[in-house]
Amino acid sequence: MKKVTYFPGCSAHGTSEEFDLTVKMVMKTLDVEMEEIPDWNCCGATSAHTMNESLAYALPLRNLVLAEKLSNDTMTIPCASCYQRLKATKVHMDEDPELAKKINTAVVGEGSYEGRVAVKSMLQYCYEDIGLEAIREKVTSPVSGMKLACYYGCLLTRPKAITRFDSPEYPMSMDKIVEALGAKAMPFDFKTECCGASFSISDTDVVLQLSGKILEMAKESGAHAIVVACPLCQSNLDMRQHDIEKKYKVKYDLPVFYLTQLMAMAFGFPKEKMMFGKHIIPVDSALAHIGEVIEEPKKPVKGKKAVQAESEVE
Amino acid sequence: MARVGVFVCFCGANIADFVDVPTVVEEAKKIREVKFAVDYKYMCSDPGQQMIRDAIVQYRLTSIVVAACSPRMHEKTFRKALSDAGMNPYLLEVANIREHSSWVHQKDKKAATEKAGDLVRMAVAKSIANEQLHEISVPVTKRALVIGGGIAGIQAALDIADAHIPVTLVERSPSIGGRMAQLDETFPTLDCSQCILTPKMVDVASHPYIELIPYSEVIELNGYVGNYKAKIRKKASYVNFKTCTGCGTCWQKCPVKVPNEYNMGIDKRKAIYTPFPQAVPNKPVIDAEHCTYLLKGKCGICAKFCEKGSIDFKMQDEVIEREIGAVVVATGYDLWDATPYEEYGVGRYKDIINSLEFERMVSANGPTGGLPIRPSDGKVPKTVVFIKCVGSRDKAKGIEFCSKICCMYTAKHAILLHHKVHDSRAYIFYMDIRAAGKGYEEFVNRAQVETGAVYLRGRVSKIYQKGEKLMVRGEDGQLGREVEVEADLVVLATAIIPYKTNPALAQLLGISYDKYGYLSEAHPKLRPVETAKAGIFLAGCTQAPKDIPDTVAQASACAAKVCGLFAGDTMKKDPMISTVNNEFCSGCQNCVQVCPYQAIVTEEIPLGHGAREMRTVAKINEGVCQGCGSCVAVCRSMAINLAGFTDPQIINEIVAI
Ligand SMILES: Cc1cc2nc3c(=O)[nH]c(=O)nc-3n(C[C@H](O)[C@H](O)[C@H](O)COP(=O)(O)OP(=O)(O)OC[C@H]3O[C@@H](n4cnc5c(N)ncnc54)[C@H](O)[C@@H]3O)c2cc1C
Ligand code: SF4
Ligand code: SF4
Repeated sequence: MKKVTYFPGCSAHGTSEEFDLTVKMVMKTLDVEMEEIPDWNCCGATSAHTMNESLAYALPLRNLVLAEKLSNDTMTIPCASCYQRLKATKVHMDEDPELAKKINTAVVGEGSYEGRVAVKSMLQYCYEDIGLEAIREKVTSPVSGMKLACYYGCLLTRPKAITRFDSPEYPMSMDKIVEALGAKAMPFDFKTECCGASFSISDTDVVLQLSGKILEMAKESGAHAIVVACPLCQSNLDMRQHDIEKKYKVKYDLPVFYLTQLMAMAFGFPKEKMMFGKHIIPVDSALAHIGEVIEEPKKPVKGKKAVQAESEVE
Repeated sequence: MARVGVFVCFCGANIADFVDVPTVVEEAKKIREVKFAVDYKYMCSDPGQQMIRDAIVQYRLTSIVVAACSPRMHEKTFRKALSDAGMNPYLLEVANIREHSSWVHQKDKKAATEKAGDLVRMAVAKSIANEQLHEISVPVTKRALVIGGGIAGIQAALDIADAHIPVTLVERSPSIGGRMAQLDETFPTLDCSQCILTPKMVDVASHPYIELIPYSEVIELNGYVGNYKAKIRKKASYVNFKTCTGCGTCWQKCPVKVPNEYNMGIDKRKAIYTPFPQAVPNKPVIDAEHCTYLLKGKCGICAKFCEKGSIDFKMQDEVIEREIGAVVVATGYDLWDATPYEEYGVGRYKDIINSLEFERMVSANGPTGGLPIRPSDGKVPKTVVFIKCVGSRDKAKGIEFCSKICCMYTAKHAILLHHKVHDSRAYIFYMDIRAAGKGYEEFVNRAQVETGAVYLRGRVSKIYQKGEKLMVRGEDGQLGREVEVEADLVVLATAIIPYKTNPALAQLLGISYDKYGYLSEAHPKLRPVETAKAGIFLAGCTQAPKDIPDTVAQASACAAKVCGLFAGDTMKKDPMISTVNNEFCSGCQNCVQVCPYQAIVTEEIPLGHGAREMRTVAKINEGVCQGCGSCVAVCRSMAINLAGFTDPQIINEIVAI
């Protein structure tokens, strides 16, 4: 039995309840005990770091200090935004002694920061600490037949200097996990494109345009649905989809799953437990593909063949 | 009694601003042996040198101290001034009060002045123990080794050989020609690369003074300027070049196909092959990594069909030795691998190619018959996006430097595209257009006006696939907006980097290289073709990215340097070398091991005067010794003496402070 510290973040207790719920189901199945940080506070995203640098570090730092009081060496975070703030704070505290001195005194009330606990997103924890093999072992009802576009958004793997996980431009960890669940991950060029979330309130048109492009490309890839590992990604792509369809006079009908919802289903939990009712775009059309056999199209290659490393004999 | 003259230089403001020069002169005058001391604005100038010459005669000086800049700068100048005045030049000592004092102690003039005084006192004390020394003459082996047979190596070899100096040209691949043999037409005049290169390649093969050793590498270099010894490994070609006529039956019959390096892997060659039809030498080699017979003992088809019986599967690698006096390194460049540009989908999309692949496609003798095509479906592209500075000038993903030639060849590619596919259009994303060169700006203008190429100033942020097209999204910096181009083909002008093997080569030659693997010149401005090691020179892209005109100019400059080096039958050498005093030598041979130049051997001498028994002592080859002093330091018997740095000289220096 593994143990890990859990920082749910505010969305998990509100809009993305279904993420929180399925994370817990999945972790249990994978024999991981999650210990929530007692009395955790807001990570400060997205307002603190645009307003006040010290506050932007101090808020996550308090959580990091509290996490050190538990005995686990790793903490995992479902929300990409929270993850980003906590990880950035950790990296800066660990590597910028001047800053460490300045900020540490600010939260001295909770004790001082030692840098003992690794900070990982839920995706990273599943991929690195649990591993594809262990995930595959728990799959009892594979979600094969589903074609999925994995969307990582901007914060799970970026900036590289902070996240130090997977590729900042074309990550593959989530793709590999959904393949372990039996689904087919489609080549998807927009997996790290900006969805415009910061302009959600101030300039909604921008969001419609940017998120619209992501949906368009996901559709183009042949996917039945999009998979995400962040509450903000989910709400932007799911909630705004109708507005986008209306504005651009298109029909995407692309449900947006949390990675853990699909994991939980593959681990044998009934679909009724996934809180799919909270989704704006109904998921049934996508789930209907489960069990289908995907035929690999054989492309006839004309003209110049792909460069092959190995020699071949006529 | 010694009579020392001290000459303290202002070096304009370089020294005088931070060291109180008159005080240094006054301090020097206090030394008993100093009979004359003076300062001057520029000691190295003609009037400065005249002061030295005059004082030597007038004050009957026995040694000279010049307190000025580093001896690396002007030791030679002042030595000459001494000999002009009839004095042995090695009676000079330079006190470096610039690099060692004024430049490094700019914040504390008093301390800098004191230190300068100390340095002068030491130099005066040392000079008192200086002895008259005389230059050594060493014989020179008048043969040059050229490593790398691209246009740089070819040009250097031809120029040296034309001066009737024998040249050994070692090329790693089966043919000379290098990258230039892969190019189609060349900027800025659009003359055909092959047409201007092939005659030179043929000249190399037929030149009476050039020994061409293809399919080989230098594996060892010993010795010193004028007298190097190189070991060269000739890879087994499994073809007897003496009897092979190059008829081509073998490679027509060979069933094994391997990606063709010459065509950047666009098509296949055979396991037995010549890299291209105009290859020099025009004889095939068997690629041992892919030949079925050499791997599994089966096949042997080429041997069956070869009418001359030239195939010899038993052939082994061979190591040969050459004695040479100078080396020209001309090992050229490679293209940077753009895989880190994940946002471009490099490696995921077949229709993104690099500039040399494009060059091969548009070449008349290329794998696609001179037409650019999309590797994915073989269609001829109508919209081609060229992206410059991929890897160059990009600290985050690639390298910091500018690759220098990409602006020009991309303009050329726009023109060539237009020539080959009339209804096509080129879009070129660029950061700057660097067209500094004769006829270069005009050439870029021509590309813009003649072909209608669209130059977009900005970086590309993303490439993604939409249907059959590659969508290239970038910035149009001049209009300040985002653009998206629907491209059929994308060509990346990736950075120019040296071959991966360059550092290993530099280490075996004993020369330095930078963090990218480029070989380092001795001085970026004044000695751009020499390396810091005497007798080793650099030509072409192995030193930095450059185009053909610059490459050829540097190669010819190397030839001039080599010819200069070989102008006399002997070479003059500084007499600052070590000698062993046999009487003290115990024969422990510590020095033999420590000498970095392998200058020390052992010899047997009689145990005593007239005795029959022998004993071993160390012996230093005066031609090889570089006077580094390592042996002096390890000798427990104090048997080694380094001329110019004798024990009395050093002890005098120490006592003086
Ligand atoms: C796409 C493209 C287009 C270009 N177009 C033009 C143009 O139009 N006009 C122009 O002026 N310039 C052009 N250039 C530049 C031109 O290619 C170079 O200036 C020129 O080829 C440099 O010659 P070089 O001899 O220094 O190097 P290379 O041509 O690279 O030759 C080096 C040789 O050394 C050999 N070698 C390497 N390592 C060893 C070793 N360890 N031992 C033995 N041999 C070794 C290699 O096999 C090779 O034969 C272009 C470059 C590119 C990339
Ligand atoms: S033995 Fe066979 S595989 Fe090898 S070079 Fe000859 S023909 Fe080709
Ligand atoms: S180290 Fe000194 S004593 Fe030993 S062999 Fe060399 S010269 Fe002779």
